[in-house]
Amino acid sequence: MTTIEQTATTVQVYQVFIRATPEEVWDAITKPEFTVRYFHGARVENSPTYHRSFGPDGATWGDAATLEFDPPRKLVHGWRSLYSPELAEEAESRVTWEIEPMDGGVSKLTVVHDQLEGAPKTAQSVSGAGWMYVLSGLKTLLETGEPLAG
Amino acid sequence: MDDDHVFKALADPTRRHLLDRLFERDGRTLTELESELSMTRFGVMKHLRVLEEAGLVVAHRSGREKLHFLNPVPIRLVHDRWIDKYNERRVSALAELKTELEETA
Repeated sequence: MTTIEQTATTVQVYQVFIRATPEEVWDAITKPEFTVRYFHGARVENSPTYHRSFGPDGATWGDAATLEFDPPRKLVHGWRSLYSPELAEEAESRVTWEIEPMDGGVSKLTVVHDQLEGAPKTAQSVSGAGWMYVLSGLKTLLETGEPLAG
Repeated sequence: MDDDHVFKALADPTRRHLLDRLFERDGRTLTELESELSMTRFGVMKHLRVLEEAGLVVAHRSGREKLHFLNPVPIRLVHDRWIDKYNERRVSALAELKTELEETA
């Protein structure tokens, strides 16, 4: 088996097609009762002005400003990895969620995590399995009503 | 349906090579990718289009440049659907066998 060295980049792009309306996807992204079921157990609150995330024990995992709030199409917010003391010291980065309706009752969700220049450890931490796990969990939740096991 | 595109995209060695190159360093232009393959620009474009249709590569504009990003989400979904499921069954079959053998012992 070949192992390839991976360099986490300062821009990361993820995409998933979900059999749900843009409104349903928007709710699943912005309401804590949904995020707790797929976002590593985090209760994420997104308001027009702030983005906050709390761990299962109530600890603050994320706290940043909302930069754009356009339901049910676009949400842009700052990202700080407060869930880890090491990553918390890093500079703020940015997350953009874009929801696009497609044919056949499907929505295309694109997540861009960028401005990671001052947060190399965060870039490494969220790349690959990080966002991938969150987005596949979000799809499973919306399409089956069940969160992923484990 | 979505899986068909992913399996078809992964069935070609050049396309798997392109994914590996993007895994190594994400967010590349067509010109950069082309320079690492002994293939015409048109050939690389064709392969990239198949990868984009499968959702394995997402093109994202940065200024005047069109950059190609590896999107691992479809691979995760195929993994959940086609690998995890069978792993689980095998593991539980072994677990049952163990219980049975230990009970009769």
